[in-house]
Amino acid sequence: MNDSSIKIMKSPAFGASISRVPGVAWILGLLIAGFALANHDFLSSPNLLNIGLQSVILLLLALPMTLIIMTEGVDISIGALLTLASVVLAWVLDHEGSLMLALGASLLTGLVFGVVNGVLVALLKMPPFVVTLGTMGVVEGLALLLTEGQSIVVRNDALHAVYAGSIGGIPQTLLIGAVAYAVTHWLLYQTRFGTYVFALGGNPEALKLAGVRVNFYLIAVYAFGGLMAGLAALILTSRMSSGHPTAAIGMEFDAIAAVVVGGTSFEHGNGWLFGTLLGVLAVGALRNGLNLLTVPSSVQVSCIGLLVIVALLIDSFKGKK
Amino acid sequence: MKIKFLAATATIALLSSAAHADGEKIAVFTKNQTNPLFASIRAGADAAARQMNATTQQYVPTKPDNIPEQMSEIEDVIVKKPDAIVFIPVDSKAMVAGVEKINAANIPVVNINDHAAGGKFVSFVGGNDYELGLETARYLLKNLGGKGNVVIIEGVRAASTNQNRLKGFMKALEENPNVKLLTKQTGNYQRNQALQVMENLMETYPKIDGVLSANDAMATGIIEALAGAHRQALVIGVNGTGIAEIKEGKLLATGDYAGFQQGCLGVMIAIRNLRKLPVPDEILFPPTLITKDNVQAYDIADDKRACPKWEDVVKK
Amino acid sequence: MNFASVIRRIGLHTDLRAMGYRLAAAFAICLLLAVSSDVFLTTNNLLNVLRQASLLFLLASGLTLVILTAGLDLSVGANIGMSACVAGTVIKLTGSAVLGVATGVSVGLSIGILNGVLVALLRMPPFIATYGMLWVVHGVTFWFMAGTTLYGFPPSFRALGSGYFLGIPIPVYLMFVFLALGTFFAQRTTYGQEIYAIGANREAARLSGVPIAKRLILVYAASGAMAGLASLVFLARLNSAEGDIGEAFTLPAIAAVLIGGTSLFGGVGTVLGTLIGALILTLVLNGMNLLTIDANWQPLVTGVIVLLSVFFDTLTRKSRDARK
Repeated sequence: MNDSSIKIMKSPAFGASISRVPGVAWILGLLIAGFALANHDFLSSPNLLNIGLQSVILLLLALPMTLIIMTEGVDISIGALLTLASVVLAWVLDHEGSLMLALGASLLTGLVFGVVNGVLVALLKMPPFVVTLGTMGVVEGLALLLTEGQSIVVRNDALHAVYAGSIGGIPQTLLIGAVAYAVTHWLLYQTRFGTYVFALGGNPEALKLAGVRVNFYLIAVYAFGGLMAGLAALILTSRMSSGHPTAAIGMEFDAIAAVVVGGTSFEHGNGWLFGTLLGVLAVGALRNGLNLLTVPSSVQVSCIGLLVIVALLIDSFKGKK
Repeated sequence: MKIKFLAATATIALLSSAAHADGEKIAVFTKNQTNPLFASIRAGADAAARQMNATTQQYVPTKPDNIPEQMSEIEDVIVKKPDAIVFIPVDSKAMVAGVEKINAANIPVVNINDHAAGGKFVSFVGGNDYELGLETARYLLKNLGGKGNVVIIEGVRAASTNQNRLKGFMKALEENPNVKLLTKQTGNYQRNQALQVMENLMETYPKIDGVLSANDAMATGIIEALAGAHRQALVIGVNGTGIAEIKEGKLLATGDYAGFQQGCLGVMIAIRNLRKLPVPDEILFPPTLITKDNVQAYDIADDKRACPKWEDVVKK
Repeated sequence: MNFASVIRRIGLHTDLRAMGYRLAAAFAICLLLAVSSDVFLTTNNLLNVLRQASLLFLLASGLTLVILTAGLDLSVGANIGMSACVAGTVIKLTGSAVLGVATGVSVGLSIGILNGVLVALLRMPPFIATYGMLWVVHGVTFWFMAGTTLYGFPPSFRALGSGYFLGIPIPVYLMFVFLALGTFFAQRTTYGQEIYAIGANREAARLSGVPIAKRLILVYAASGAMAGLASLVFLARLNSAEGDIGEAFTLPAIAAVLIGGTSLFGGVGTVLGTLIGALILTLVLNGMNLLTIDANWQPLVTGVIVLLSVFFDTLTRKSRDARK
C-alpha cells in the first residue's frame, strides 16, 4: 500500500466523498424536522441537552465499535463489559471513597476483558462473534455473582457531578463525549494505528507481508473497546448513582446498529467515524422524540427497528454496495 | 414564519389550558409491556383520569425493566412538564436518582406498587408483599392440614417484592412446625424457568405436597410441570393475575395485588393533590386472597371495571 | 460398499472427529451428572432433558442452515413471541388446534421470508437486517397483546408440547423427525449442497450458477418456519403466552449451533451437530438445577462452554490444515 493511497484513506473527506452522507444524515435531518414540527419542546435547549447527555454512553460504545467493525470484527460483549465496569466502579467507590481510584478500577476491568477478547480473536483466530458471545456470558455472570443481582448504591458528590455537573458551563458528560470522539478521530485518521485499522478490514495479508505486527493492532482495537466501556461506566454509574448488574445488557446491539446505520460496513472494512456520531444521535433523537410525543411503547419498539432497516435501505438503493 | 407559528401554538395552548380547570396531565410510569399486572395498573390509571376529567400519558421502557431507559423517560418527561407523575421504579434503588430529578423539577409524584428506596413522594399506594406472602402461605398450609412437604419457588432474588414475599412465606412456615420446607429455588418470575425448575425438583423430591410461588406466572408453569408428571400438589401464587387457573381449580389461591386499583388510586391521589384536596400518606391494601369461592368477583376484564370511589377507600 | 464410503456419502461436510469429540463431551457431562446427583439417571429426568433440548433444537435447526451460509438470524426469539401469540389467539377464537398450528408456522415463515428478502434482495448485512426485524416484530407483538396473557388451550393442542406417545414426550419425536429432515435436506439434496457452497465460497458458488438470492431466502424462511413450529411446542407446553415469550431463546439457540460445530464463517457444520450442541447446553443447565447451583452462574457457564467448544474447533481445524 503506497503512501498516497494511505493518505487518501486516512482523510476524513474520503468517507464523505463516497457519498455516504445521505443515508444517516437524511434520517437525522428528517427526524429533527419532523419532531420539531410535531412537538414544540423538541428543539428547546433542555431537551436538546437531554438528547446529547443520553447519547454519550452509546457514543462511547459506538466509537470503538466502529474500529472493530472496520477490522471485519464485532464485539457483542461490550454492553456486559460496561455493566461489570459500572458495578466495579460503584463497589470501589463505595469502599474506598475515591472517584479516581474507582475510575481506574473500572478502566482496568474494561481493558482486561478487552484484551482477552482481542487475544482470542487475533492469536487463536476464533470468530469475533463467538468469542464475544462467550465473554459476554462470562462477564455478565461475573456481574451477577459479584452483586447477587442487587444494585450497589453509592452517594458521592464527585460521581454525581459527572452526569449532573458542568465545567465552564458545559456538562461534564458532554465534555467526556467530545474528548472521546476527538481521541478516536485522532487515532483513526492521524496515526499509524488508524491506517492499520483501515487495512485490517480491507487487506490484512498486505499488512502481514509488510511485516506489521497485525495481531498486536487487532488486540489493541478490542482493548480500546474495553477501555471505552470502562469510561462509559463512569457516566452510567453517575447517572444512576449506583451500579446495577443488568443495567447495560443489550446496549451492544444498539451500538452496532448505530455504527452500521452511520455507514460503516461489516464487509469491506470501510468506516466513517462521523457517520457513527450521526447514527448515535439519530437513535437518541428518535427515542427522545417518541417520548415527547408519548407514542405508545409498542410502537416505539417497532420504530427503532424501522430506523435501522430504513437507514440501510436508503444506502442500499443508492447503490453504495 | 416560524415565530408566528410558535406564537400561534403558544396562544392556543394558553387558551386551552385556561378553558378546563381540570385537564391535568398525569404521566404514568410502569416497568414493562408484557406483565399483565402492569397492564391492569395502566388500565386503572386511565380509568381514574377519565372519571376525573384529566389525561394520562403512559411511559414504558422498550426494553423491559431497563434502568437507563426509565431514566431517559424521566428526563424527557420533565421537559414536557406534566402536572403530576405516578411512578413505579424499575429498580427500587437505582431509580432513586431519577426520583430526585423529578423532585428537583418540582413535579409532585406518587409512588405505587414498588416502594422506591428514596426520594420525596406525595404518597405510596400498594400492596404489602410481606402480608400477601404470609396470608397466601397460611392459606395453603391450612389446606394441607398443617403438615406435609413444601417447596418455595422465588422470583428475582434481588427484587424487594420477592424478598418481602419470601419473608411472609417463611413466617407462615414457622407457624406450622409440622410442615417441612424441602428447598427454595428461584424461577426469576419467569414461567418457563419455573416450569423447568419444578420438573427438576420433582425428580429430587418424590413427595411434594405444596408449592409456594412468588408470583402467578411462575405458578402457571409449576402447574403445567405437575400436570405433565401426573403429580398433585397445592399451589399458591401472588399478583392476582391467575384468575383463569383459579377458575379451573388448578391454582389454590393467589394474593391479590389489586393492580387496577393501584393505578386508579395513584392517579386519584395525584389529581386530588393538584386540586389541593386532602390525601393520605400511604394506602396499603389489606392482603386479600382470591380463591375458588370468590373468584367470580375478580373475573372482570379491565376495560369493564370502574375505579373505587374515593370515599370508600379512605374509610378503610 | 464399505463403512467409510457409506459415512462419506451420508456425512458430507461432517467432520467425524469433531462430532466424535462432541459426543464424548456430552457423554462425559452425563457421567459427571450421574455421579453427582442420584436423580440424574432417572427416566423422568432424562425425558425432561430430552424434551427441553428438543425445544431448543427445533429453533436452532433452521438457524443452522442460516449460519451455514455465513449469515445470522437474531430475530428468532421475537419470531417465537409473535407466532405463539397469533397462533394462540387463533386457537382461542376458533377452538381449532389445526388452524392454530397452521397459523403459527405461517407467521414464522412470513417473518423468515421478510428477513430473507432484506438480506438477499436488498443486500442488507444479516446481523442488522434481522436485528431490525427483531424490534419490528416485538413492537407488533406487544401492540397486539397489549400486556395481556393468553391462557388455557385445548388438550389436543397441548399434546404437542406436554403429551407422550409410548412413554416418550412428543417434542422428542419432533426433534428426531426434524433431525432426519434437516440432515437429509442439507446433505442429500442439491439445495443443501448449494447452501454449503454459498457458505464456503460465495463467489465460486455464484460463478457455478447457484441462485444465491433464492437459496438465501430459502434458509431464512426455513429458520422462520422452524421458529414458528418451536413457538407452537412452547405454547403447548406452557399452556399460555405473553408478548415476550421466546425472547430468552435467541442467544442459547445461536450458542447451540456454535457449540455443535457450525462455523460462523459458513460452509461447515451439520444439523446433527446442532442437536448435540443443544443437548450439551440443556444437560449443563439441567445439572445446575439438580445440583441447586445458583441461577446466576448460568450465563457464565454457558459463555465458557461456547468459548471452549469454538476454541477446540479452531485448534482441530488448524491441526487438520497443517497436516494437509
